Amino acid sequence: MVKAWAGIAGIAALGLSVLAAGEAQAKVEGDTVYLGAAVSLTGKYTTAGEHTQRGYDLAVKTINDAGGITVGGKTYRLEVIYYDDESTPARGAQLAERLINQDDVEFMLGPYSSGLTKAIAPVTEQYGVPMVEANGASLQLFNKGYRYLFAVLSTTEQYLASAVALAAELAEREGRDPATLKLAGAFENDPFSQDIRAGVLADAEKLGIQVVIDDQLPPELNDMAATLAKTKALKPDILVVSGHSKGAALAIRQVEEMRVDVPMLAITHCDSADVIGKFGAASEYTLCASQWAPTLSYQDDVFGSAADFAATFEAEYGYAPPYQAAESSAAVLVFADAFERAGGFDKDAVRDALAATEMQTFYGNIKFDETGKNIAKPMVLYQIQDGAYVVVAPTRWAASEVRHPTPPWSER
Amino acid sequence: MTLRRQPLLMLAVAAAGVALPFVIPDYRAQIAMLWALVIMAQTWDITGGQTGYNSFGNILFFGVGMYASVVVQRDVGLDYFPGLVLGMVVGAGIAAALAVLLGSMILRMRGHYFAIATLGLGIAAGEIAGGWDYLGAGSGLSPPLFPAPPGTANLFFAYLFFGLAALVFVLLAALYRTRFGLALNAIRDNEDKAEAMGLHTGVYKVTAWTMAAFVLGLVGGAMGNMLGFVDPRDTAFAGATFGVWMVLMAILGGKGTLWGPVLGAVIFHITQELLWTHLLGWQRVALGVIIVGIVVFFPQGILGWARTRWPARHEPREQGSERA
Repeated sequence: MVKAWAGIAGIAALGLSVLAAGEAQAKVEGDTVYLGAAVSLTGKYTTAGEHTQRGYDLAVKTINDAGGITVGGKTYRLEVIYYDDESTPARGAQLAERLINQDDVEFMLGPYSSGLTKAIAPVTEQYGVPMVEANGASLQLFNKGYRYLFAVLSTTEQYLASAVALAAELAEREGRDPATLKLAGAFENDPFSQDIRAGVLADAEKLGIQVVIDDQLPPELNDMAATLAKTKALKPDILVVSGHSKGAALAIRQVEEMRVDVPMLAITHCDSADVIGKFGAASEYTLCASQWAPTLSYQDDVFGSAADFAATFEAEYGYAPPYQAAESSAAVLVFADAFERAGGFDKDAVRDALAATEMQTFYGNIKFDETGKNIAKPMVLYQIQDGAYVVVAPTRWAASEVRHPTPPWSER
Repeated sequence: MTLRRQPLLMLAVAAAGVALPFVIPDYRAQIAMLWALVIMAQTWDITGGQTGYNSFGNILFFGVGMYASVVVQRDVGLDYFPGLVLGMVVGAGIAAALAVLLGSMILRMRGHYFAIATLGLGIAAGEIAGGWDYLGAGSGLSPPLFPAPPGTANLFFAYLFFGLAALVFVLLAALYRTRFGLALNAIRDNEDKAEAMGLHTGVYKVTAWTMAAFVLGLVGGAMGNMLGFVDPRDTAFAGATFGVWMVLMAILGGKGTLWGPVLGAVIFHITQELLWTHLLGWQRVALGVIIVGIVVFFPQGILGWARTRWPARHEPREQGSERA
């Protein structure tokens, strides 16, 4: 027995020493600056997690290929240390500890989803590690007084506000009182979608729109037939669905299968779920909230215009970049810019430089308010028209008129 | 293992527990998690190993503790540490009360029927918490930030969980030697005979499960604070991770033994951390292969295997209880 225990103790010691041996990298080593990121490579956010990672990778590669960043007269390359958070917050928090304590990372890129960001932000905050995140939109992240959290994206309450406003505007144009409109909503029961729900309900109340369905969808989203059956019966004017990529694909598929006629369908995550590629004509007329569009007129020195970014991304990965990839790339640009302005790699100097960010990227203008959220970039609303995403709102970037109402399935 | 050697081993583990956070300070978060996992495996083994009642629903008590603690911290308005302690105790109390209530209903079922009945507990609790606005519903809850300089939170939780694990170990070691422990083993070995001999098996089973629930409530309460975010399905009622792991660790080490769950948790945690680092994206596949390997090659767990391999070196009583 003593031998057995000795053997076991030996294995344990070996394990610990291997763990310790992994501890080689530091925040800035030679000419390389390490950024840490936990992303979802497995689990329910796999699709969007991959877009996130590719966004980071593409920006890092593009910056490095162009000679890297110049800080205090010396050029540095960027590199990202990744871990897979398995789409669970418990894992995310542990990995953040690991990145900071074992890998000695002093700058973090965000994970995918609001839930993961909520779990990781307290850790980075505690260690005073600046984190620029691109995929945690929940408004609740920005009322906790975090000083080291910066988000390049627009927050949740703005996602579908333009869709609700558009419905009201169209109703007025048709000579109808917006207060006679009926809205149906189905939202996944997760931090992001519940925030979307709060935004939509607030907008509906403001415009006097009646909410006839307000359903919660489970996180393992595989079926929303119950909601759609009610939709058929109650005939709302707008159907709003939010549930990340899986929710987007599910909504389009089941609305077609069940032949649900609704004048306006507004969802999130269309491009991330590739609904045009998967469902073709069935996805026509759908309105999609988007953080970004390749047709917008922003540009920067690294990628060029929004369209240039889209072309670079497609050449690298073989598909058009969803906005999750674009905003992830933008997060890296923000870090690069802050390093150069800080003139060094002191965590607090970089944090202050981040707070003072005022720049335009291909993804949009970026300027953080005191809570760390980007207040310089609006959301856009796409409509799927003839197999393409076309910006229809806000009017400043609209490339086309919105097609409304969606004809019934019998005529499509 | 002889009684002479056991204190030596305990001393070694205790020394490791005290020293580790300072020997490898960068790993404090993992060390804290390690001891928490040890407790989860230990408590699962009270019913799963010693009593022969495999529960897949113990995650319920963990999650209840986590929610109760964060809600108490949010609503009672105490400072961080008093709030945390009160929260943990309240959580453990609610978890224990739930165990008494549920246990007196479903612990009447035997064997597989009980196991299946417990499967739904964690899932149901996750759905309830996910729909209850008072608990933050699907958006979850954030506990208050730890009020001390960076790194000290991990140190605190590493010692908290270590102290709790050591306490649980010592208490269980004492408990399994008493008549109560023998009664649990008797239930495992032949419940009808135990009943025929005059044991109130129901009382013993419910008491055993309640003890497990109380400790898990404490662990959950502290874990919510350590992780920094309470999500209904992914951190609190996380059946697919913590819920399965506690069963797995006890079986891996050797269920129905005192050291088995501890050993299982240590090996499981280290293996998992290594896989996470070196097999990015494939860690779950590797873990699955390891689980299959364990079940095929060590169906009795590592200690069970060691016993079969070196039968002479074991204390007769422990061996006897395994065979009876």
